[in-house]
Amino acid sequence: MTTAVFAPSRLEARARFVLPGLLLVVLALLPTAGLTPNIIRLLFITFVWVTTSLGWNLLGGFTGQVSFGFAVFYGLGAYTAALMIDRGANPYLSFLAAGVVPALASVLVGLPTFRLRGPYFAIATIGVSEATRVIMNNLTITGGASGFRIVEHRPFRQVDHYYTALGMAALAVAVSFLIQHSKFGMALRAIKQDEEAAADLGVNPYAYKLAIHAVAAALTGMAGGVFARYAAFIYPQGVFAFQTSVYILLMPVIGGIGTVWGAVLGGVVFGMVEEQLVANFPQIHLLLYGSLLILIILAEPDGLAGLLGKFFRRLRTPR
Amino acid sequence: MATPILEVEKLTKYFGGLAAVKDVSFAVPEQHIYGFIGPNGAGKTTLFSMIAGALEPSAGRIRSRGKDVTGQQPFSLVKSGIARTHQVVRPFRAMTVLENVQVAAHFGRKNITRTGAARDHAMQVLARLGLERLANTLAANISLGDQKRLELARALATDPELLLCDEICGGLSPTETRTMLDLLERIRQNGTTIMYVEHDVKAIMAVCDHVMVLNYGQKLAEGKPEEIQNDQAVIEAYLGKAGSQKKGSRTVA
Repeated sequence: MTTAVFAPSRLEARARFVLPGLLLVVLALLPTAGLTPNIIRLLFITFVWVTTSLGWNLLGGFTGQVSFGFAVFYGLGAYTAALMIDRGANPYLSFLAAGVVPALASVLVGLPTFRLRGPYFAIATIGVSEATRVIMNNLTITGGASGFRIVEHRPFRQVDHYYTALGMAALAVAVSFLIQHSKFGMALRAIKQDEEAAADLGVNPYAYKLAIHAVAAALTGMAGGVFARYAAFIYPQGVFAFQTSVYILLMPVIGGIGTVWGAVLGGVVFGMVEEQLVANFPQIHLLLYGSLLILIILAEPDGLAGLLGKFFRRLRTPR
Repeated sequence: MATPILEVEKLTKYFGGLAAVKDVSFAVPEQHIYGFIGPNGAGKTTLFSMIAGALEPSAGRIRSRGKDVTGQQPFSLVKSGIARTHQVVRPFRAMTVLENVQVAAHFGRKNITRTGAARDHAMQVLARLGLERLANTLAANISLGDQKRLELARALATDPELLLCDEICGGLSPTETRTMLDLLERIRQNGTTIMYVEHDVKAIMAVCDHVMVLNYGQKLAEGKPEEIQNDQAVIEAYLGKAGSQKKGSRTVA
């Protein structure tokens, strides 16, 4: 039996731009609709997580390299933005730097670790992540383990946080789609399936892994920076924690690894339920994540997006 | 005489203490189909892996059009026009047949950036191999014969000057083998030089201009197909020396 995969029709191709565009407009208008500050704050957090989820998905989902070390980039982005804003730099310039610094760091991390394959790569990233956390705990210019308080000297509105995070999440979606439908994206898909076969067709797997790692680190770092400005206080046990790495990995897995909307969905679900879980089950919320992860991997490896896809296909084909 | 497209000089590969390929030298003239035969474990695939860059030689040199390419990685050899197919096919199973070939079109010698152009190029290659009807089928869902042709299509889509084919007829029916050999002949007529390893001696003799016989990693004989067929050393390697079977030292698996 053969499964035909058809190219999308023009209508579907157009819908691909129209629906996300509409969503963006609605989200942009939401703050004017008189929502409570708490809802706005929840949406802000969700946009931050959606961005990290999409960032991780570029390397883990598109390229098949599972990293447990994305807290390094999130934390570096947070500290870069924090230090710059505290010294009076333009916050948006600081967010740019919060992308650039982790991207450079990702090259340093990737040079040795991308020589490793599969589980060995994953294990190495845990080591890098923990080493960074320990260093940051002891670094005096950032306040070490007691953290860093950001004093912003310029006037700004509370809603600026919301729009910055929304714009960033939209950027992450756009970057993901651009990469997915490009020559670059083809290389990543080939590497994910068979590195040697990809190299036999002219793809340099090492170079492409380094490149996508840098893009993923930049998005994750920007998310860290945007979060830091909002939180106004960051500390290594928070942004550099192993738990942060696990959160960042968990979202695209929950939502649907390897697809753009799956990663977005994972970020949305996580952003919405995370605080509720922490508030209601402070002792066992990590246990709940663990159980959820096992359940998804066993029952639906394509995550919520895969589940939704199956559901809609069943609706379309009545029997 | 023009520079040969590939020159191999005293190429050697050791796995531990065992020499899989030892001091093998030859030159492949342009637009030839150059065949390699030999018993199991003779070193044919190891030889190909070294030329394609998948294995680093222990000693010896490889020159492509006079330029030393020894030890270069597979992806840079593809860019200079050397592509290979694998004995055991390795399609990207979660991609369609077209996408499989599109990867090769993007990253081959032409280095096509635009996805539309790469897809067009891939489609042309599929049409040449009669695979266009399967273009939108997942590679995991096609037959072994089609997977073998897909393997060839991917290598061809990189626009090689030199194509290394490793057992592209292995496991195929006689009819499919015939079609595959016709394809090789047409590829050569389009200007591509071919190095061809096959277990099926008849297939090799049918299409090759020049044949080398490997045995225990070393060159046993080379020449035109008809010369090889009558070579005493070759006959011994394949069938054993007259009256020596009982010693069991040189039986061919």
